[in-house]
Amino acid sequence: MSHTAFQPAGPAVELETDYCVVGSGAGGATAALTLARAGRSVALVEAGPWRDPHDYPSSTFGAFRDMLPAWGTTFTRGRANWPIVQGAVVGGSTVVNSAIAVHTPGDVLESWREQHGFEGGEALQAFQDELDAELHVAEVPPAARGRTDLLALEGARRLGYPSALLQRYVKDCVGSGQCLQGCRAGRKQSLNVNYVPELLARGGSVLSCAPVARVLFTGARASGVRGRFRHPAERARGAEFAVRARRGVLVGASVVQTAPLLQRSGVRHPALGEGFRSHPGAPVIGVYDEPVDMNRGATQGWGSTAFRSEPGFKLETLSLPLDMVAGRLAGAGQPLMERLREFRHFALWIHATRAETVGRIRPAPFGRSNVYYTLAPADMQRFRAAMLMLARTHVAAGARAVIPGIAGLPYRLLPDEIGVLEQAPLDPRAYVSVLSHLFGGCAMGRDPARSVCDPVGRVREREALCIVDASVIPSVLNVNPQHTIMSLARYVAERMLDREKSE
Amino acid sequence: MMRLIAASMADLMPRGADLPGCDDCNPRAFLLRLRRESDPLFFAGLVLGTLFYQLAPLLTLWIPLPAVLLPRELRERHAQRLAAHPSYLVRQAVTLVRLSAGLCWGMDPAVRARFGLAAYGPDPGTFRTS
Repeated sequence: MSHTAFQPAGPAVELETDYCVVGSGAGGATAALTLARAGRSVALVEAGPWRDPHDYPSSTFGAFRDMLPAWGTTFTRGRANWPIVQGAVVGGSTVVNSAIAVHTPGDVLESWREQHGFEGGEALQAFQDELDAELHVAEVPPAARGRTDLLALEGARRLGYPSALLQRYVKDCVGSGQCLQGCRAGRKQSLNVNYVPELLARGGSVLSCAPVARVLFTGARASGVRGRFRHPAERARGAEFAVRARRGVLVGASVVQTAPLLQRSGVRHPALGEGFRSHPGAPVIGVYDEPVDMNRGATQGWGSTAFRSEPGFKLETLSLPLDMVAGRLAGAGQPLMERLREFRHFALWIHATRAETVGRIRPAPFGRSNVYYTLAPADMQRFRAAMLMLARTHVAAGARAVIPGIAGLPYRLLPDEIGVLEQAPLDPRAYVSVLSHLFGGCAMGRDPARSVCDPVGRVREREALCIVDASVIPSVLNVNPQHTIMSLARYVAERMLDREKSE
Repeated sequence: MMRLIAASMADLMPRGADLPGCDDCNPRAFLLRLRRESDPLFFAGLVLGTLFYQLAPLLTLWIPLPAVLLPRELRERHAQRLAAHPSYLVRQAVTLVRLSAGLCWGMDPAVRARFGLAAYGPDPGTFRTS
């Protein structure tokens, strides 16, 4: 077993294994462990460093520095510049998300079967049952339920729509409200604390601080990867590395990185980098008479998928730290300071919209990527409807005012004024939004002309090259995608093992 | 440049009746740390945003002077008008200045205590080296 972190400039680091997996997030780590459990030698190559819970930052400043790529400066290009949130450490976004576990909806799997030829629906559901047990998926325990979650439950109950405390990959959550900085309490089951260590224990290799520059090919067959170590703090370039993969390469570098990596590696397909989709979301803050203290309890403890099919959004609580709220709340000067005085009375809830808008991803200089994405008017109508539902839920829960955060509308709406949200602008520029669930760029499907991968994740016209992250997902889910990504990665890895037998 | 950034941050988050402002949160130490530890692209964006903020009184007040030379009342009006400007690009131009001001202010122990929040622990910046 070996872990190789940053190596200063010097002799190249070279490895030879059965499989090489690029990226250690939900998809990459799951695929790597699936192969290792089957007895294969595996090298897992991750661009970011490996941080354990005692390495995690406490502040938002530290989270920007240590956990996000390029200080969170990835954003969409289009009519509005919306930030894209991803993790840049071993474990990927599982380290900085709220660990929400939701099974892939049956209607999604059915549409994949009908429209894209994906036959693995039952396998995915079985894998997800196993994930529930293996990663200690459980409802937010009483000790971690924040007042914001309980208010949301009550608001939804009064409006008569179903909602629940969230199921999460957290063992004995203590409600420290630090999910987004990484759980320093070590309770969140991010993959850097379980799957990646198990991979090492099974004889696998991990290269961290190791951004992959190219996938290597021998003819059409993927034969490895190469790149150069990069120091996570000093940004110094280190030694070159090369991993030779005897049996295949699996890429799970994230939706933002996977398609550009393939493009830089010489893969050509008309659909490569196309079909980018997401669940754009935005917050609505309720202001309550009694302090809510939203940073006490789980970062996200409540959710509702009652509207995921029609009109097409999900709702959740989200507790943002004071330092983030201060930089994002509307206004400046004395009015902003007046608004911040109420921080303890804020309950911040968000929606994520089932957006059908399609964007594209392209490589950019210095190993970065550009994401071109502008939400279409039909999606903006769903987006606006979700804002209204959040506002209505706040009012039902007893909020004395609602802060919609929409440019052109009043900063604060009284309960009898929230109807103005029905006429809120449909321009994406009016909203403070964020993209956290990303899909596509290397979508799977049965049509060779329209899908980069076949329905088992193999890149077309290449051999021994598979995609194991959300890049292969051909649609939005409108539920949290981590369970789907992990089970899909396992499915793709197992199909790769199946092919060994036939070769 | 650091003084200009700190002055801009202080305009956006001034001292309130019972709340510290950005100026009370050691912005110079914050900015030195930010320059040392942030992504160059982020810091370059902060510098450009600051330059825009300083020159923008021409847009908000029709006054051709840098914001730092204006009296306090006019700086307050400038900050408010810029934050609520109808142009998205104008609002976006100062996003990183606002974000930095929020980080500086919100991580200050005295500010956090005011909101019943514990002081932040360390940001060790460490990682596995072997």
